[in-house]
Amino acid sequence: MSLEWILPALVALPALLAPVSFAFGTARAALRFCVLGTIVVACLAGLAIWNVSIHGKLSGANDWFMMDALSAYHLIVMMLVFVFSSLYSTSYFAREEQAGNFDITSARRYVALFLGSLAAMLLVLVSNNLGIMWVGIEATTLLTAFLIIIHVTPASLEAMWKYLLICSVGVAFAFAGTLLVAASATSVHTVGVGGLHWTKLMESAQKLDGKLVKIGFIFLVVGFGTKAGLAPMHSWLPDAHSQAPAPVSAIFSGFLLNTALYCILRYVPLVDASTRDSEWARGILVAFGVLSILIAAAFIVAQHDVKRLLAYHSVEHLGIIAFGAGIGGLGAFAALFHILNHSLCKMLSFFCAGSLGQTYGTHDMRKMTGIMKRSPVWGTGLFGSLLALIGLAPFALFLSEFLILKSAWDKGALWAMVFFITGLAVVFVGALRHAITMAWEPAAEFHVKDQFSLLDAFLVFVPLVGLLTLGVWMPQPLKDILIQASIVFGEKA
Amino acid sequence: MTADWIEVILIFLILTGFVLLGSSRLISCIRMAAAQGVALGVLVLTEDSIEPTLRLTLIGLATIVLKGFVFPHLLIRALRESNTNKEVQPFVGYVSSLFIGIVMLGFSFWIGYRSGISLAGSSLLFLPVAFFLFLTGLFLIVARRTAINQVLGYLIMENGIYTFGFATVKEMPALVELGVLLDVFVAVFVMGIAIYRINQEFDHIDSDQLRTLKG
Repeated sequence: MSLEWILPALVALPALLAPVSFAFGTARAALRFCVLGTIVVACLAGLAIWNVSIHGKLSGANDWFMMDALSAYHLIVMMLVFVFSSLYSTSYFAREEQAGNFDITSARRYVALFLGSLAAMLLVLVSNNLGIMWVGIEATTLLTAFLIIIHVTPASLEAMWKYLLICSVGVAFAFAGTLLVAASATSVHTVGVGGLHWTKLMESAQKLDGKLVKIGFIFLVVGFGTKAGLAPMHSWLPDAHSQAPAPVSAIFSGFLLNTALYCILRYVPLVDASTRDSEWARGILVAFGVLSILIAAAFIVAQHDVKRLLAYHSVEHLGIIAFGAGIGGLGAFAALFHILNHSLCKMLSFFCAGSLGQTYGTHDMRKMTGIMKRSPVWGTGLFGSLLALIGLAPFALFLSEFLILKSAWDKGALWAMVFFITGLAVVFVGALRHAITMAWEPAAEFHVKDQFSLLDAFLVFVPLVGLLTLGVWMPQPLKDILIQASIVFGEKA
Repeated sequence: MTADWIEVILIFLILTGFVLLGSSRLISCIRMAAAQGVALGVLVLTEDSIEPTLRLTLIGLATIVLKGFVFPHLLIRALRESNTNKEVQPFVGYVSSLFIGIVMLGFSFWIGYRSGISLAGSSLLFLPVAFFLFLTGLFLIVARRTAINQVLGYLIMENGIYTFGFATVKEMPALVELGVLLDVFVAVFVMGIAIYRINQEFDHIDSDQLRTLKG
């Protein structure tokens, strides 16, 4: 059976579902539609991923669309994040609605934008053309900007403006980079249409003008790195993450950042092949990775707002992923594994932080004490996910960080290792202090324990158990796709 | 058309850049950016070192319509809502801005000739102009306070990248270019709405005063 149609359909489906949300009369119905729509898209994505895992690369629409192991793996993570976030938004916004902060107009807008950004991110993952990939990234910026101001407040407007401007300008750099890469190919083939297809460029990579590709790659890392939240271009990130409603923060941190990093990863094998130097591009990734880890560590120690704390954790972990990808070998495998772990963990922690914020009416960690007593489910979730985020064994994040460190050791990148360990140690101590305060300090007076539904328990315990399981045992299919993806990324098996 | 005309247009692009650097009235800044957009579109339509194709005509026309008329209209509307008509006390004054503009222009010529990027376009001026617009746009974003001027900066920067792409990569697929134009259009649209909302909430569009979120 030919599955040519499936990739265009993947992008079109959520884009078509988005406007339907305006037909609903109640917020509840619209949010349920959102869950349903996301699950349908996830099923379709599952079919495509299954196909890729069996038959290898899948392409469609005259090679404009392409899915290989690298994009399939990212797609798995992305669908997990979106399905969980859509489920969580029913719980989160139900409480907002009770508090009078959420009405049908906001609900319609939320669902339409949610599905719209899903479509844009899918476009990034399945497009084979580097120009269209850029178009997808810019589209995610524009669509998600309005998700930040679902609750219109001065602070959220400020966050939105910064996000919009910094990311648009950043992504414009990435466009300049894309053009430079295209310019490097002009001497090779003059065929207009296929000129920016990733597969075509890879075929003729050795003939590209290496100097232009190098300049282009710098622009691309700065540009997409802005969107991925790599330091020092991360300044929009804590604002946007802290001001957006919790399910949106979960998407931002859980996958929006990874979408941009994915674009950088796509270019790495291209740079390797055209410059005949497999170290240059990776060195840049390591440098940005180290810088992100260190800067995030400094801010994590001094942080009081729980959502901003989590945002800086994103900077840190994206740094770790870039670092691992830069180290290469086993490190690239571990970095890809870390993407899944980080997204699961970060989505969980934002869910919990959001709901606890509703209970306590603040995000100040000094006031959110006794979280496990007052709200057993969300409290346990936040405490557990914070422990996982700082890299405590036996959570899966410990494993992937350990593997990255091991491959750095094997490669003899000692200075990078020193910075890596320093950063992680500072984060460990700094964030552990916050976590202990929130968990064990006696709570201020409260009258009722937080109620929770079966769905809430499901949303907390499934990712938590998943992280624990992945920490001790990796299923064979996951291992296979990780190995396949790191081969795409330029590693020998 | 002869290469002379291309160079006239390119020099016009440089001049619009300088006017933008030196003027404080927002309405004239918007008009200047519009003129630049039209010039860019005309450039695409008249460049004939390759065969005029349907693709180029389409993109040239889309550029003129969007950058010359639609964007300015959106921005002027945002401006009218906000009761702001001047940039008061920018971070970098106008005279200094012009001097910095001259430095940027010199730098652009230097790097444009040294870069060794092979040109598909007919004039040697293409690359320096592209770099100059890129730098001018970036400069406006960091050196001006009002949100409108920052959006203009973004547009000028985009124009620079566009010129660069046009000069070096003639064969961009139309689908990609239209996608890019669409994105820029939506960006300006969204920024316009954002400015409107910011003005409603804060009573000003001075982005320097948006600084409660820190750390």
